[in-house]
Amino acid sequence: MTLALRRAAFPSRVTVVVLLALAAGLVFAHRLYRTVEISLSGAVLSAISSYGVEVVADRQTVYFGLGSDTPLGLRMTPECTSAFLVLPLVVVGAVMIALRPRVQSRVLVALGVAALAVVVVNQFRVLTLVGLVDWLGVDTGYYWGHTLLGSMVSVFGGAAALVAFVWLATRK
Amino acid sequence: MSLDLVLGFTQALALTMSVAFVTYVFVIVVPYLRRKPAPVGEPSSLEWHFFVPCRDEEAVIGDTIRYLRGTFPIAHVWVIDDDSDDRTAGVVRALKRNGGVRDPNIHLVQRQRPYARTGKGNALNDAYRTVKLWMGRRADTESAIIVVVDADGRPAPNFLEVCAAQHLFGNPRIGAVQVDVRMINAGQRQPGVSRWRRAFGAGLVRMQDLEFRTAIAAIQLSRGATGTISMGGNGQATRLSALDSIAGPAGSPWRGSLLEDFELGVHLLTEGWHTGFTLDTHVNQEALYSLRRFLAQRTRWGQGTMQCTRYLRRIWDSDHLTTLGAAEMTYYLAQPWMQLLGTLIYPIPIALMAYRFAVSPSEVVFWFFDGAWILFTVYGAFGLLPFVLWGPVYRARCEPVGFWRSIGYGFGYALYIYTFYITSWRAVVRLARGHNGWAKTRRNTERVGGKVALDV
Repeated sequence: MTLALRRAAFPSRVTVVVLLALAAGLVFAHRLYRTVEISLSGAVLSAISSYGVEVVADRQTVYFGLGSDTPLGLRMTPECTSAFLVLPLVVVGAVMIALRPRVQSRVLVALGVAALAVVVVNQFRVLTLVGLVDWLGVDTGYYWGHTLLGSMVSVFGGAAALVAFVWLATRK
Repeated sequence: MSLDLVLGFTQALALTMSVAFVTYVFVIVVPYLRRKPAPVGEPSSLEWHFFVPCRDEEAVIGDTIRYLRGTFPIAHVWVIDDDSDDRTAGVVRALKRNGGVRDPNIHLVQRQRPYARTGKGNALNDAYRTVKLWMGRRADTESAIIVVVDADGRPAPNFLEVCAAQHLFGNPRIGAVQVDVRMINAGQRQPGVSRWRRAFGAGLVRMQDLEFRTAIAAIQLSRGATGTISMGGNGQATRLSALDSIAGPAGSPWRGSLLEDFELGVHLLTEGWHTGFTLDTHVNQEALYSLRRFLAQRTRWGQGTMQCTRYLRRIWDSDHLTTLGAAEMTYYLAQPWMQLLGTLIYPIPIALMAYRFAVSPSEVVFWFFDGAWILFTVYGAFGLLPFVLWGPVYRARCEPVGFWRSIGYGFGYALYIYTFYITSWRAVVRLARGHNGWAKTRRNTERVGGKVALDV
């Protein structure tokens, strides 16, 4: 008698349900997500800034440049968070797994990479803004950082994340 | 749900959809601009049958038959008369008699009510079964190619040799080939109408030519990589053995949706056939001058695409389609639905801004001039760029018009595309009401005798 060992695949229906629950969570628990996101920004800023950094979690705000001439607070609003950029990826990933369960692991990897890319891009946007405020001052730095550069980072970062998602999820 | 949350959610969704579209357009435009013509093949190695579905086409069918017989002497022409009220069948019979010397390559497939006028797919299926009977047991179904052309269609003279090329029907795995479609009346103004209507009609025709020769052609070329080249209603060529493989016991390779050409492609691809597309030859057809007829035609196409959503499961279940191919087809099938979503999502930030302006105008004005105008410019540019760029692409690849005129074409194309938001809503309303039948789109020369589009 031969013993055939086969690794049991995680049931795709469970994965789909988990992903859809995650999508719902991104909408209904966006405040928590934004708190985590701004805390991450605070941690990164603390690591690279020589001035004081303070996160006020319940207001989803990070204060930086404390002790300098240009202290400023940035609030992670629903319009600035990466939560709603991750959301469509999660939904598309769930649909793909529901329609073709055998691509489950590939889609999950793609989803992880693309979601990470979106989160990193959003952190990069915050850092760019902080850097511009530091360089050009509060008014000019915030003006260009929040409008033009921030938008460009979002657009190109979003495009890169999408390409990464499609490529990783669909390659043979 | 708070206002900020709605705004954040809709902005992010709008951004994602726009970025996805911009990325998609840039991915497809590069291979389109870099493509080179391929070597042609030997047409006599294959057997060619033109299917010409007709309903009240007396005015154009004679010239079409003469063109097809004169340009492609080795081909058979099968005119499918869908119980026309005019003399379409009489014209075909007269040409077949050929002044006493019968032309054995002209055939008439006569349909009669109540079995006629049940859709283009049924008419084509009738001709398919007739050809099968006519060929009998001697049929070489691998070599027989069925080409569907409109009653006013004009395949280019090199149509057969291009389609016979090694990478197209020269490859036995290729089940169907779609060729480039051009508008024969591009640059021609509609006679007998007012000046403004003439100018508008000419612009609309130009946009249809631009759309087919650039954006649609680029999409089709990119589908070469995903293995999902789709079929169109005109200039569609299919190997008879491929039709046999999907015909089923009823002998009906074409199915009942309003987008029977796309549907045919889905069945061929999921059966394991490969499909091809070429820009090395083309078929000419007449574009529409009338906005009303154009909207009716596009509503039908949109509804057909919505109907084909039922094939999603079949597409994703097929082992013959890669995940990239299935994703590409899903993206195509999702288009009208995304347009519906877009019409709901895109206005929300604008509506909220209008509300805030109504409540506190000075605050909004300050916000706008303090930097928000840059956001508007960036998003406006990203919204327009994927459409405007086809104007210069059209200039570079299709028609040598001036640069600024090509930019004007690009902006015109962006406006033209916005009509799809209207047609998608019309399509979904028809779908919801169960109006799934449709009469053919009227030609430019036909007089309006009631509604343009009717349910069967």
